[in-house]
Amino acid sequence: MTVEGGVQYSKIAEIKGPLVVVDDVDNAAFDELVEIETSEGEKRLGKVLEVGNGKAIVQVFEGTTGLSISGTKAKFVGKVMEMPVSKEVLGRVFDGLGRPKDGLPDPIADKFVDINGEPMNPEQREYPKDFIQTGISVIDGLMTLVRGQKLPIFSGSGMSHNLLAAQIARQASVVGTQDDFAVVFAAIGVQYSEAEYFRRSLEESGALKRSVLFLNTADNPAIERIITPRVALTVAEYLAFDLGMHVLVIMTDMTNYCEALREISAAREEVPGRKGYPGYLYTDLSTIYERAGKLQGRKGSVTQIPILSMPSDDITHPIPDLTGYITEGQIVISRDLFRQGIYPPINILMSLSRLMKDGIGEGSTREDHSEVANQVYDAYSRAQEVRALAGIVGKAGLTEIDLKYMDVGDLFEKEFLSQAIDENRTIEETLGILWKIVSKLPKNEITKIKDKYIEQYYKEE
Amino acid sequence: MALNSSLQQAIDKIVEKTEKEILLDLKNSVSDSKQTLDDSLSKLEQEYDKIILDGKKEADKVEKKIIGSSELDVRNKQLLLLEEGVTKVFSKALDQIANTDRSGDYSNLINTLLDEATKILGTTKVIVFTNTKDKDVVQSALSKFSGSELSSDTIDCLGGILIKSKDGTMTFDNTIDARIERLKPLIRKEIASTFGVGN
Repeated sequence: MTVEGGVQYSKIAEIKGPLVVVDDVDNAAFDELVEIETSEGEKRLGKVLEVGNGKAIVQVFEGTTGLSISGTKAKFVGKVMEMPVSKEVLGRVFDGLGRPKDGLPDPIADKFVDINGEPMNPEQREYPKDFIQTGISVIDGLMTLVRGQKLPIFSGSGMSHNLLAAQIARQASVVGTQDDFAVVFAAIGVQYSEAEYFRRSLEESGALKRSVLFLNTADNPAIERIITPRVALTVAEYLAFDLGMHVLVIMTDMTNYCEALREISAAREEVPGRKGYPGYLYTDLSTIYERAGKLQGRKGSVTQIPILSMPSDDITHPIPDLTGYITEGQIVISRDLFRQGIYPPINILMSLSRLMKDGIGEGSTREDHSEVANQVYDAYSRAQEVRALAGIVGKAGLTEIDLKYMDVGDLFEKEFLSQAIDENRTIEETLGILWKIVSKLPKNEITKIKDKYIEQYYKEE
Repeated sequence: MALNSSLQQAIDKIVEKTEKEILLDLKNSVSDSKQTLDDSLSKLEQEYDKIILDGKKEADKVEKKIIGSSELDVRNKQLLLLEEGVTKVFSKALDQIANTDRSGDYSNLINTLLDEATKILGTTKVIVFTNTKDKDVVQSALSKFSGSELSSDTIDCLGGILIKSKDGTMTFDNTIDARIERLKPLIRKEIASTFGVGN
């Protein structure tokens, strides 16, 4: 931050969608923060997208509604957008641009950090391998989240991903360490009622004191959504790498972020890529997702759970498709399970945590975790096949062992998958239920678990 | 007599058999009951453990909620108090700046502000705006900036200058107010640190 201000220009050449083109501009810089002043004296923020030939293209975060060519002024502030950070941001609620939304003053900043962050040196990255307990059996047991991982949730419109997001935010914790844990929650383009639900949910559970909320609601200008995940991650990085905390960043809904990106791209008349999204969607998303991780010699970590709703539940849509390339696995919400009233309706057969194997086992969760999880995966997969078969030949045509697998499938959905929205299960409880399911199978069907674990945990009924 | 004796024997036999059966049933029932009781005991123990665990979880939840929200309340009240203090210090400082003596070093300050502003705009052909108090000091400083002229309109500010290019397309605000506004977050931090917060 400097005492020098910037020059204010009053020659606006064009206003196009969320963009303002300023003429006769000297010394503007890419990504520089711009203060737009309307003829009525209202101030809005924007940033420079392009400079050259004496022109600067400015993207206005709060939208260009009400701006006119005459009377509008653009002041180039001389710095990029920064977020004031300090430990005092914990327990605070901000809007999508990082301004207080809880009626309290601006936080007293420890420092001001560029919201674009600094790319992590790949050489300095530490491989994620420490378990985060979400208290949700299906995640902890079968698609375990580890510190520093980026594990997206693929959902669809109207499904219970926001309930799940709030539950994770309330319950998540690191076990087996005294290190501080924090949650940074970025709501991007959500409905007002959802934003209120997130806020209330964290307040009422007492989890707000270790959380920071960024709320960009659907009625806020779409362009603000470009900034929301970045300010959230800036705060997360500060908490993690300056204060040594383990930070879980939950961002919902990344589809709204991509829509905003598409809007800007269209206004800039860029050549559209798949479904009209810009060709650099992958690169842009990676600048967000790659901010998760752990660094050698630093205590903290940034773990990400981006949530995105797949348009028409289409997993091949560019947003989930490109997200899947960058992240380390995915949790897929199933509409079938949702319709059956199961919560959380996670389709385990389509879900996967690529880093799970390194975050579980002796010393992290329990020595039998991997094997019992594999066995349950296998049994549930078989149960699904049997259900499909039963749909054709009827239950009477099934063998005794087929019927056993059907029971296992039912038990899995009823006792393991289904969980109340305020039910926080420990990893021991989760593994206990997994063993209860495995114990429904005859011993000769258990092929993925060592005998010593079967002897120890198998309980024949 | 013989008939009576046979009858008695038959009755005795039936009674004996029935007695044996009843005793066996009783024995079985007792052992069943014992078994049921044993089974129930372990189930009861499990149920008891579950209730205790659930209760503990619930208690933890309530404890977290109460402690979390009270800590947050206290922190928020502290923040509001701090802000009140910072605002008071700020307004007092602004009063002092507004009433600064315009003689002596002040003309050097105006010179520096003009120099900085014209360099940033890249031209000295500018119109300069200032407040009523600073008009004379600014007017005398303008001789060093050829092509510049003082506007007859005044602006409302604590001090300093605002310059505009003659074609009206570029403006640079170098008033004391603008400079303070730009540094406000840092000044707030400094003030807060004197209250023992932040550092």
